[in-house]
Amino acid sequence: MTSTYDITLNVHRYDPDKERKWIQTYQLEAGRIMRFVDVLRKINDTDDSTLAWGSSCEHGQCGTCSMKINGKPLLSCELLVENAVKYFGTTTFTVEPLDVAPVVRDLVVDTEKAYERIDRVKPYIINPVLQDEDEMEHQISPETLERYVDATRCINCFCCVSACISSHENFLGPNAMLAAIVRIMDPREQEKQERLDCLYSADGVYRCHSSQACSFVCPKEIDVAHFIALAKEGAL
Amino acid sequence: MSTTFKIQTTTHCDVLIIGAGGAALRCAAEILEKTPDADVIALTKVSHPQKSHTSTAQGGLAAVDPKDPLDSTLFHMFDTWKGSDCTADQNVVKKICESAWEQILWLENRGMHFSRDPQGQLSKRTFGGHTRNFGETSVHRAVFEADRTGKGIMDTGWGETLKRGITFINQCLAVELLIKDKQCGGCVVYKQKEGEFIRILAKATIFASGGSGQVFQVTTNCRQNTGDGLALALESGLPVMDPEAVQFHPTGIVGPGILASETLRSVGGILRNQALEPFMINYAPKMKELAPRDMVARAIESEIREGRGILNPDHNIPHVWIDLRHLPDEVHEKQIPEVSSFFKRYVNLDPKKELCPVRPSNHYHMGGIPTNEFGEVQNEQQETIAGLYAVGECAAASFHGFNRLGTNSILELITMGKLVAERVVEHIKDEPKSRLDIGVDQFAKRFSRYMGATGGDSLGELRNKMRSVMTEKVSVFRTETGIKDAIETLNELKERADNTAIAGRGLAMNQELVQRWELDNLLAVSMVICLAALDRKESRGAHFRDDYPVRKDDFNYHTLISMVEFGTPELGRREVDMSVFKAGGERYEMFDIIERKY
Ligand SMILES: Cc1cc2nc3c(=O)[nH]c(=O)nc-3n(C[C@H](O)[C@H](O)[C@H](O)COP(=O)(O)OP(=O)(O)OC[C@H]3O[C@@H](n4cnc5c(N)ncnc54)[C@H](O)[C@@H]3O)c2cc1C
Ligand code: SF4
Ligand code: SF4
Repeated sequence: MTSTYDITLNVHRYDPDKERKWIQTYQLEAGRIMRFVDVLRKINDTDDSTLAWGSSCEHGQCGTCSMKINGKPLLSCELLVENAVKYFGTTTFTVEPLDVAPVVRDLVVDTEKAYERIDRVKPYIINPVLQDEDEMEHQISPETLERYVDATRCINCFCCVSACISSHENFLGPNAMLAAIVRIMDPREQEKQERLDCLYSADGVYRCHSSQACSFVCPKEIDVAHFIALAKEGAL
Repeated sequence: MSTTFKIQTTTHCDVLIIGAGGAALRCAAEILEKTPDADVIALTKVSHPQKSHTSTAQGGLAAVDPKDPLDSTLFHMFDTWKGSDCTADQNVVKKICESAWEQILWLENRGMHFSRDPQGQLSKRTFGGHTRNFGETSVHRAVFEADRTGKGIMDTGWGETLKRGITFINQCLAVELLIKDKQCGGCVVYKQKEGEFIRILAKATIFASGGSGQVFQVTTNCRQNTGDGLALALESGLPVMDPEAVQFHPTGIVGPGILASETLRSVGGILRNQALEPFMINYAPKMKELAPRDMVARAIESEIREGRGILNPDHNIPHVWIDLRHLPDEVHEKQIPEVSSFFKRYVNLDPKKELCPVRPSNHYHMGGIPTNEFGEVQNEQQETIAGLYAVGECAAASFHGFNRLGTNSILELITMGKLVAERVVEHIKDEPKSRLDIGVDQFAKRFSRYMGATGGDSLGELRNKMRSVMTEKVSVFRTETGIKDAIETLNELKERADNTAIAGRGLAMNQELVQRWELDNLLAVSMVICLAALDRKESRGAHFRDDYPVRKDDFNYHTLISMVEFGTPELGRREVDMSVFKAGGERYEMFDIIERKY
């Protein structure tokens, strides 16, 4: 078994001060189980401290370190060098920021802008069903919850938005659809009409052409396209 | 070219929260529910509030359901007190445990997707240290949202605050606290995306800045947990309480440090050293792998220290093995599927066939900014600072004393978050419109110094040195010589850091500049951890001194430490609140100074 790899990273860089874009090549030795976040940190520590990239929890729970590697949107904390070599069949990798919002610097995008799509669908209960006794929890059967629980697992990493061709036009995008769908399926939300109006609006589900690219790239393995299909069929 | 640093704009608000994690969001939601027209600004270092560290909390949150005939609030209070090694403050323990269920309902009523039992009510599970009848048998006390309870809190808290018109400033740093004459008036903020410094003046400022796990080489904590809140407090002349109380989880996955749950050991996983010997028998002949967390952590660390560990070449981190190969497929598939998948995903090993590398991983900081039971920040003399509050992991009220029970942290966020909000709502009502206007200059001096340095060290290398010395000398084992060595190294690193040049000159998204500032914070926090650990010549909860291995009554107090100048501390003490014991109510004797034996 090889224990290290000599890898080449072609990183798409951007300097906001000079408004300059370029591709910078880094060559380094990387251990087989180093993850791409570790590789980027190694570049910062030993070669180029100016290369900017984002991460937070670094174990697939926060969705900050999403980027495109050889064109595939993914979480860089989950990609081991060894697996990348196997999956892409090369030791040369193109590393690009996610194309879902303007780039701030290098691999860091303006996540806040990407989130505007989510804010538009109101990611909260607009009008909660009130309890008879307000001291009580709502009763939700495990079967009811099971129908939509997968849609609640989304971490807003925006990988699906990057993969979805329709999202680059007017479509609110797969994850925003999920945020709306969850609250339609959640029995605690009373305000169904406003949600349906949003879902079936000009920016809504009918923009999706069922390519399932979203489900394919989702690092949380959520079958996003399934939920969108349910919405299209009116089966929520 | 020299960079000049000045304040671009000044913003006014009612409430400024430094942080947008679980504690911050619960607090903000309450303020906005009670005073809908309040201007609330919440700051976060990450790119969006949802990316805050709370999102990674998995297991659950403890709360006694009043409908549960088997459990009681008193039992929860007792477990917390005992777990803290008799160093939690009982007034705080009482408040939090008593308001726990109400806060669960708050979350449930606002859409958190708790896991459900067949009757459609909230499911509950048990955790280490959850007992009934004062330690008699275990009890189901933790509610949860599958393995993403923290995310559930974050999604709910973020949604509710968004709905009620909060302002978030993402990807920014609070870099200087505005404090004068025992009053706080806001802070200076570096907006990373814009590369600008602004001043925010507020009637109330709340620290909710989270933990400090990056002090150590292997940690379950996120990259942003650099103890900024603690460092800001120290810099402003405020003390930090019990910094030496740091919790380690025995089995973090090498190298990322990701939590590999206790379940691995309870289903029969065996810890082995370099020679593949099962070593737990030498440390806990009866309990072996099932010994308590801190004991297992010390056993692993001993093996490593005595040269019986294994060095992982990719991460350059020593570890031991956990052997799961002998377990039946069914156990792998049914009882430990997530943890198994973590090994697959992060170290590319199949636990059914291969040995898996683990080592103690830093997990939680019990110590923090001292507050009273309302979250009001106190100075060394225990006087409150007007307009300044602290809540969550950065604060020490203290609910956890010297050892936190699993599931008690995120409970603290939501209960104390609400309690602090109530205080803040009262405070901003009475506060006049014109706010304390304090001149600022510290940040400019500091950042000019950073940009003006010309030395050739690598920041990453200095950070790594600090993290490894803290792991080697001041983690699960501490001795006087070890701590002194660490202090010496920290002094040296501080000097080198002060000379280290920054290559990137622009201020927008200058990650290196951020890391430079964080390194100063990490060094300051490391230093107070060392100094307090040196001073506490006993063992208590997570603080274990090899040279003083037992708890001593002489040390029944909280450490207070201030350090305006790096390395020159002032130490003080705060009494542990024992009001539940003193009140002499039902089973009060359980709240005396008792043994922490399981
Ligand atoms: C893997 C893991 C699992 C866990 N599981 C559990 C569990 O099951 N149960 C439990 O009770 N506890 C658990 N914990 C502990 C718990 O998650 C944390 O203690 C808790 O989430 C801390 O919340 P907080 O709101 O105080 O801070 P955080 O959620 O860390 O939020 C801090 C906020 O402050 C911001 N911030 C920090 N510094 C600055 C600055 N200088 N300027 C501006 N903003 C700043 C950050 O960006 C962030 O928004 C777990 C911890 C880990 C690591
Ligand atoms: S299935 Fe629909 S939402 Fe998913 S990627 Fe394709 S077009 Fe986009
Ligand atoms: S649906 Fe999946 S890919 Fe899309 S944002 Fe959510 S977690 Fe990411």
